[in-house]
Amino acid sequence: MKKILALMLALALCFSMVACGGGKKGEEGTLSVCVGSEPDTLDPALNSAVDGATMVSHLFSGLAKWAQNENGALTIVADAAQELVEGVVNEDGTVTYTYTLRDGMKWSDGKDVTAADFAFAWNRAASPALAADYNYMFDVVKGYAEMWETDESGETFVNPDAKLAVEAVDAKTLKVTLNNAVAYWNELLAFPTYFPVREDVVSNEAWATDPATYVCNGPYTMASWEHDSLITLKKNPNYVDAATIKLETLKCYLSDDANNQLTNFQNGDWQMIDDVPTNEMAALASKYPTAYRVVGQIGTYYVNWNVNEEILPATNKLTGVAAEQARAEIRAALGLLFDRDYICKEIGQAGQVPASSFVAMGMTEPDGTEFYKNAGSNEGFVGYYDATAIEANFKSAVETLKKYYTFDEATQKFTDFPTITYLYNTNDGHKAIGEYLAGALSAVGITMNLENQEWNTFLNTRKNGEYSVARNGWLADYNDPICFLDMWTTVSGNNDVQFGKGAHAALKMYNLDLTALGYDVKVENGTWAETYDVLISKIKSETDAAKRYALMHVAEDILMSTGCIVPLYYYTDVFMISDSVDGFFCNPLGYKYFMFCTAK
Amino acid sequence: MNTKTLLYILKRTLLAILTVWIVITITFFVARAVPGGPFASEKAITPAAKAALEAKYGLDKPLMEQYGTYLKDIVTEFDFGPSLKNRGRDVIDVIGDGMKTSARLGITAAVIALALGVVLGAVAALRRNKLIDRIVMVFTTACISMPSFIMGTLLLILFAITLRVLPANGNAAGGLILPVITLSLSPMANITRLTRSSMLDVLGQDYIRTAKAKGVSAPKVIFGHALKNALIPVITYFGPMLAYIVTGSLVVEQIFAVPGIGRTFVSSITDRDYPMIMGTTIVLASLIVIMNMVSDILYKVVDPRITLE
Repeated sequence: MKKILALMLALALCFSMVACGGGKKGEEGTLSVCVGSEPDTLDPALNSAVDGATMVSHLFSGLAKWAQNENGALTIVADAAQELVEGVVNEDGTVTYTYTLRDGMKWSDGKDVTAADFAFAWNRAASPALAADYNYMFDVVKGYAEMWETDESGETFVNPDAKLAVEAVDAKTLKVTLNNAVAYWNELLAFPTYFPVREDVVSNEAWATDPATYVCNGPYTMASWEHDSLITLKKNPNYVDAATIKLETLKCYLSDDANNQLTNFQNGDWQMIDDVPTNEMAALASKYPTAYRVVGQIGTYYVNWNVNEEILPATNKLTGVAAEQARAEIRAALGLLFDRDYICKEIGQAGQVPASSFVAMGMTEPDGTEFYKNAGSNEGFVGYYDATAIEANFKSAVETLKKYYTFDEATQKFTDFPTITYLYNTNDGHKAIGEYLAGALSAVGITMNLENQEWNTFLNTRKNGEYSVARNGWLADYNDPICFLDMWTTVSGNNDVQFGKGAHAALKMYNLDLTALGYDVKVENGTWAETYDVLISKIKSETDAAKRYALMHVAEDILMSTGCIVPLYYYTDVFMISDSVDGFFCNPLGYKYFMFCTAK
Repeated sequence: MNTKTLLYILKRTLLAILTVWIVITITFFVARAVPGGPFASEKAITPAAKAALEAKYGLDKPLMEQYGTYLKDIVTEFDFGPSLKNRGRDVIDVIGDGMKTSARLGITAAVIALALGVVLGAVAALRRNKLIDRIVMVFTTACISMPSFIMGTLLLILFAITLRVLPANGNAAGGLILPVITLSLSPMANITRLTRSSMLDVLGQDYIRTAKAKGVSAPKVIFGHALKNALIPVITYFGPMLAYIVTGSLVVEQIFAVPGIGRTFVSSITDRDYPMIMGTTIVLASLIVIMNMVSDILYKVVDPRITLE
């Protein structure tokens, strides 16, 4: 009897513990959200993550910011600057902007925000000493190139004392000189890397990890940071526009588990989650028609070939340029065998858009049209091929491949295509797409094996070109197609295709004729470095916006002619936000803004 | 405590230090042999930026020199270095934060598992083949066979979504209740079965029969003689189990978003955050080595017949 009593006591203890949990919900003026897991850093200069940028955008105020106008459209408006001035073109082609800071701006500890804080912050963020991921965001500013100039070893800096051409004329006036006019300059000013920090604050290397030392100048201050768990932001009374900020407290819960996020959303604890389990998407879209949101995000999911991978049959007699021309044709044909609509609807399930160009949907031209709609041949379809003409594409691809491979009419399959291996990073979604691609190829007799690698190893393998064909994806940092194009120059660290490297370096096969655009550039049968690299440097120094965009179309044409880039779809951003929340908006880079939110 | 025991403890301590040193050495070189690096990302940084970072953290030095510096720093200053991923934070702080939560979760779960397990096991043994024994056996079999991610998910659906009485987030008020239950069920079932079989064994011994024949009261026989001796195997199980629960609760931490050390351990490896890999490995290895040593020594305390050599 005693034992049973003890047992019951123990069980009662357990259940009483269960019963005293609970207690939650609906604090006034508070929003609980989850935009990601523990951020690597909340130092605006060091951050390179989208979730970090969301938090930093609530904590700091740069010269410009993203805002929603009365019609709900997104614009870039002045924030710390009184206005976003036009630049003055100097004699040497450089452009100088002079900004006046608004009155009454204070840091969260009460000190004044000065132009010198901006000048210091920009030099710090751009410097090799900090070696921030996004240091190259300043490559448009005069002085950046000198800062990063290295000797022949590539690892020793020649000008350790170099500074950006940014100057605090007085406490309220900031003067910055750019190498040339930059179409997306105002957007850069709203980018977290351009936010101000104060020298005495950041001299403590751990400043951004502790609320006590986290001094900022934006709508919110950091009230607490429970690592791996919760960051609480409180309205900053010292913020110059504090009166316009509606939300008092923003609780940013930190979780990297989509299922856990969903549970917290469903039981009402969190009002917004930025990650949704893929296998639940279809069900959630119908169960929460208004809370489940799919918005555009400037990015492309694609497959890329290693340009030096031999895919011609063993019997092939082509060599050099002729062989590469054949491979380009073959790679482009293989890309037409895939049904992108199926990938988006059946595998991605997040409203992705089938892609027919590499530069993603969402990039706008100076005349307001969309860049991707002007890309490619434009023969009755958008982009470089008609992504909707699946059967016609399939037939033309098979016809092209017949030129190089033996086709068995009885089985409708190619018999001598070498076996290839598709490399992807370990992830169910990437695996499903890999399986689909392999299936589509096997329908015409091509064997493609799948190999997955853990993320960090995968990056290394792909970067070193130790693969034949690999999964890839790219998200824009700002609304300018150059961020999709300059990554393919020979020396770029993101040149996974290995353009201009290995055997490809010596192939003289690309043409570049810019005379029609008024340049003295005409290369016939040049190498990648002589054509594409030259073209990118022209784009970077071109100040005329219309010409610049024309050049970028030329660059994408060359890129797509190699067949090495096989775009599959344009990314979307899927998240859930409770119907009870008003005043929320997000930008095309995926940053979320909660400061004007109110709960119904 | 005699000199023999002291010598034994000394020997075990030296062996423990040797074990941890071997773990450090292997981990140090293996972590660096894995492809990739701490500064790799989808958007690659320039070689110059990478070189600047490597110089900053001393990763540009020869491997043996790095190893020497690392050992010297932990031995002389107990300095585990800075995290390469969470810039501005020291490894020891990150581990401290994670261990606080993991220890709270693990120790609570272990104590509950021990208390319930011993009680249930003893009851089942004393009521052998009766209904209550059967119920306990079925219940424990289910707990052992069900993986924690299924148990955790079931508890989440029931208490966090359907009934909405407990939070799904491990850091909220009452957030550790579900993870504690999930984590304690399997070891509790093991302890129950261990106690039951050991108790049955003891109850059949001659000295129990003698005690009963001498007229010793039933509670005294059970608590004073039977249970005390039946717990010896439980003690040997408990030490390593505690270490295992504290270090191995990754799945549970993931399901309930508990900010523990398990997640840090795994993410440090995928991030190639070398100092963090080293720090977490050293802490977890030391914990396991120490718990094993303590349970071996305790074994001797509860059972004087055992000689330590």
